[in-house]
Amino acid sequence: MRWFAGISALIMIGVLAFASPALAYDEAGSGRTCIECHGLELGESAVPTPTVTRKGPHGGYSTGTQKCETCHTVHVAPLGSTMLLPAATIKDTCNSCHDGTGGQGVYGVLAARGLTPNSAHRIEATNIVPGGATDGSDTSRVFSAAGGLMTCSDCHSPHDGQTVDPFTGDRVRDASEAAQSEATTLTPATNRLLRQRPTGADSAVTVYGSSWCGGCHKGRLSGSAGVVNHPVETETAGFAYDNVPLVDGIDQITTSLGSLGGTNRGYTMPATRTVEQAGHKPICQQCHEDARSVGDVTQGTIDASEAFTVTTADGTTTTDNPRFQVFPHESVNDSFLIEENDDLCLNCHVPPGG
Amino acid sequence: MASTRRQLTPRQAFTLIAVVLAVALIALVLYLLFYMAPTGFTELVVDPGEGGLRPIMVISGPGTGENPSFSRPMGAAFGPDGRIYTVDTGNNRVCVFDDNGRFLFEFGGFGVAKPAPGAEASWEEGKLNSPLGIDIDDDGTVYVADFRNDSISVFDAEGAFLRRFPDPATRVGFGASGQDGTGIAVTDVAVRDGKVYATDTYQVVIFTTEGELLGQFGKPGLEEGDLDHPNGIDVDENGVIYVADSNHNRVTAFDPDGEVLWQVGERVTEMAREAEYTFGLPRDVALSEDETLLVVDAFEFDVAEIDETGIIARYGARGVEPGQFNFANSVDVRGSDVVIADKENDRVQVLELIR
Ligand code: HEC
Ligand code: HEC
Ligand code: HEC
Ligand code: HEC
Ligand code: HEC
Ligand code: HEC
Repeated sequence: MRWFAGISALIMIGVLAFASPALAYDEAGSGRTCIECHGLELGESAVPTPTVTRKGPHGGYSTGTQKCETCHTVHVAPLGSTMLLPAATIKDTCNSCHDGTGGQGVYGVLAARGLTPNSAHRIEATNIVPGGATDGSDTSRVFSAAGGLMTCSDCHSPHDGQTVDPFTGDRVRDASEAAQSEATTLTPATNRLLRQRPTGADSAVTVYGSSWCGGCHKGRLSGSAGVVNHPVETETAGFAYDNVPLVDGIDQITTSLGSLGGTNRGYTMPATRTVEQAGHKPICQQCHEDARSVGDVTQGTIDASEAFTVTTADGTTTTDNPRFQVFPHESVNDSFLIEENDDLCLNCHVPPGG
Repeated sequence: MASTRRQLTPRQAFTLIAVVLAVALIALVLYLLFYMAPTGFTELVVDPGEGGLRPIMVISGPGTGENPSFSRPMGAAFGPDGRIYTVDTGNNRVCVFDDNGRFLFEFGGFGVAKPAPGAEASWEEGKLNSPLGIDIDDDGTVYVADFRNDSISVFDAEGAFLRRFPDPATRVGFGASGQDGTGIAVTDVAVRDGKVYATDTYQVVIFTTEGELLGQFGKPGLEEGDLDHPNGIDVDENGVIYVADSNHNRVTAFDPDGEVLWQVGERVTEMAREAEYTFGLPRDVALSEDETLLVVDAFEFDVAEIDETGIIARYGARGVEPGQFNFANSVDVRGSDVVIADKENDRVQVLELIR
């Protein structure tokens, strides 16, 4: 009769396989705030500047309209549960809106228009920073997503705590923003919730510029041993995103200091260098930004056809230049370069004999 | 020589009965296996507990083909015959299941209607680009919100392409949110009595089922009735339009002319501390058979049942078990059955609403 017992056992297993544990509805779990348990006070530095108007539901205050538990999961699994929540909480939270359905898109914008991103800060895909070691070699780092992978919160602070100073940008993000022209400030200066210390940075920087990128890409800063980098300027020299030399207008070669954002005029540094440029080198973003058409070989000046025109977000207007405003998330160009090959160098350098 | 009819010994009789019983049991189990778990990717839930939203089944993909699993499904609706139409957003397709969760067929595939210069216009009839919401007419016609192609694609019940509207290259009425100001960046659709209701970034746009524009209302702003990235819409028999006004953290009921009848929920302006709020991120609405409204709340990880006086009940919690959600995005109702696109769990759940 052993076979009979065997079959019965099999049947029992078969039957049991369908029986899931009874479900507990955790109603007590929601409706409470972290403060009730931890007595926390949020940072006092979060007071918005009056001009900060484009944070959407971030309320000019912080990213979370949602309760703390949305990101800070307390792992109280239901009775009998063996499975844990997927770890991608931060990304999932942000992408509840930034997949285009609740705010403008960040990742996926290029693919949606039939393009292939040729460079990216991929989310939850890697922990290797190219040029992350001071000797210029690649290095791994422990980022914030599961498995130490890089995610949104390695660059952005969901709490808007310890963030950089507001800066003017290229973007039109909000459909209610009026169409802008080069003459006006494109968007109010905001900090984009950028951390002063992106994960892995040795020190905090209060302004967005080369040193901010250099917090992760340490080996790409000037003076890295053993590598031939293009020389870059850092905050200590007074150059940052909101303080670079802009040519004064179409077909002009004089410059004055201003923001790289909202114009194409900061991507060229005409030779012979002007007073503002003299003795300075470019910041990372003058070479690494959204793909755009800018400058020409003669003297690095720009002409009218290459003027900056951004009227809607995500490159939704075909005539916009740059078309897509998704840096530093994805780009159609390699290595997030604004232009590729000689085109790039010729924005600032007259070729020998040229 | 001639065969003799032998008497069975008691031991033999017992063995025979045991074998017959065992075979019957095996047959039963096989039947149950086939009936209850038709594909490897649908799971029937037994003993679902008491009250509220009781899980019936969990569907995590067709279980066959190139993409056996869902990727961020953001919409799901019942057909008139109980079929389950699932929008598998990440795979740009619609997967159709029978009322037992058995996979039937899929349609769609990636196609770009409005490419960037230099990119290929890969759209052809039936192709989708980040499809979101879905609704099925009484005759089985399927309406899909083809978000990134700025239009609504219409299919018959078997997934054959019928038509699309509005033309993604034409301006809609006094303007909508599509690329270059043409077409609508449509997040959800509802079809009822010959009309199709769609949400775009800041408004509700109404068409006939053939695609003729009937009206539009809504604008950005903070006033009553203003909309900010609505992601869900449903309509009742009187033409009352219910909208999940996602980024305003509220649900608004409009009369057929777009006048506000009532709203539940208020804008959340800072992180929840002591302050309580109604909705974290309402992403979709669906009328229940009792004329209450089910609201899927992605950030509260539950389904709220409301009427114009406010919250009646909330069902569900965050998690990966049946009956739990992880950034759920849509809800549809048929009788007492409810289907939820449980986005970040990469699955669709069918549950029964029991009070
Ligand atoms: C959108 C996701 C998100 C939400 C919502 C959120 N947090 Fe956080 N929180 C994070 C992340 C990511 C970190 C770690 C990195 C950091 O410091 O910001 C963190 C860190 C913290 C820390 C550690 C101290 C610090 O600032 O580094 C505290 C305390 C905290 N959170 C409290 C809260 C409270 C209280 C709430 C609700 C009012 C909340 N969080 C809501 C994502 C979130
Ligand atoms: C409820 C929807 C929602 C969620 C969730 C959300 N955002 Fe936003 N976010 C918006 C909207 C709307 C804007 C306004 C601009 C736009 O439309 O993109 C915005 C703007 C921003 C900006 C620009 C702010 C500025 O200073 O200019 C950043 C950076 C940002 N979000 C990052 C995040 C990150 C990181 C997360 C996840 C922790 C997140 N957001 C979650 C809707 C959301
Ligand atoms: C939080 C750390 C961090 C910060 C800050 C950061 N990066 Fe990166 N960067 C990375 C990582 C990690 C990769 C590899 C990404 C991948 O493989 O998808 C990368 C890749 C790159 C690449 C190569 C991309 C490609 O696909 O070829 C470039 C160029 C780059 N970063 C430039 C910058 C610039 C410019 C800044 C400042 C605006 C910056 N990065 C800020 C971590 C960072
Ligand atoms: C490697 C660092 C990095 C990572 C990782 C990253 N961001 Fe950003 N993000 C930035 C920087 C830098 C800016 C500001 C760019 C500018 O305005 O020039 C920005 C800007 C934004 C903006 C505002 C765009 C605007 O209107 O100015 C949003 C929204 C945003 N990020 C969301 C996200 C989300 C969501 C994720 C994860 C899915 C993410 N980011 C991951 C660095 C990062
Ligand atoms: C003068 C223009 C210029 C400046 C300024 C510049 N880069 Fe680059 N960068 C390039 C070019 C061109 C490439 C592609 C060739 C290469 O990989 O070396 C590149 C490549 C990179 C890569 C990808 C390298 C890899 O290993 O895949 C990273 C990361 C990077 N740059 C970071 C930075 C950072 C961070 C800064 C500022 C500290 C910076 N760059 C400043 C022109 C520049
Ligand atoms: C945004 C302007 C800009 C771009 C683009 C640019 N450069 Fe430069 N480059 C400079 C400036 C400024 C200096 C500092 C010396 C000077 O004033 O000419 C410099 C210096 C150099 C030097 C001398 C380095 C040294 O250590 O003295 C070389 C070589 C050079 N660039 C090559 C390139 C190449 C190759 C490219 C294209 C990949 C390029 N540059 C793109 C602005 C630029």
